[in-house]
Amino acid sequence: MSKQSALKQSSAHDVHEVEDIETHEEPNLKGTFAAVMFIGVFIVVSWIGVYALYMYR
Amino acid sequence: MHVHKYEKIWLTFGIGSLLVFLIVLGWGAFYQGTQPPSCLVTLNPQNVQAHNSFKEENLGVQQVGENEYVVNVLASAFNYDLGKDEEGAPVKKIRIPAGANVTFQATTSDVVHGFHLSGTNVNMMLEPGYISDYETTLDNPGEYTLVCNEYCGVGHHMMSAIVEVYE
Ligand SMILES: [Cu+2]
Repeated sequence: MSKQSALKQSSAHDVHEVEDIETHEEPNLKGTFAAVMFIGVFIVVSWIGVYALYMYR
Repeated sequence: MHVHKYEKIWLTFGIGSLLVFLIVLGWGAFYQGTQPPSCLVTLNPQNVQAHNSFKEENLGVQQVGENEYVVNVLASAFNYDLGKDEEGAPVKKIRIPAGANVTFQATTSDVVHGFHLSGTNVNMMLEPGYISDYETTLDNPGEYTLVCNEYCGVGHHMMSAIVEVYE
């Protein structure tokens, strides 16, 4: 094999790898999203509840 | 950098609520001047009577203006000293008109006590050497229990008095 063709081969391999990263499937974060938002909304609602109690009294 | 769509949502939500909480905190502290009830006046806890507010004759309710009252309270294990009535018996119940401006001033001559007027925002810690004060308006008539909410010893559960807010 000549030096040139070896280079060609390796660059073709690199291109393939880049494509592989870009078309990589996104992780499924639906459950994480639900859990994070549940805790966030819980904190905000409890905070507003305590604040409203303070203002009402 | 690639950030997941959901991550963008919860980061915005998290940073947004943090900002809202900090703004409310700063607004209360710097604009409204909210501070701990026991941050200004100190006294000798071994000789609280040396301070005018806690002299025997000044304890309990004092009317200081047309619709303004001061309540001086000396806490000690396991009692709130609200002064004495005409017969010389210790006062266990005080009366304040609804809607009046009331300032509670309290301290302790021994250990840490609580000062909680249950059902209201009057809730302070009484520390030896400090005067805790809270200015408020009690709008809703009724009987409120003044209760110790800092464990102070074996008689802690018996430490209470009554504040009646009348129309
Ligand atoms: Cu107690």
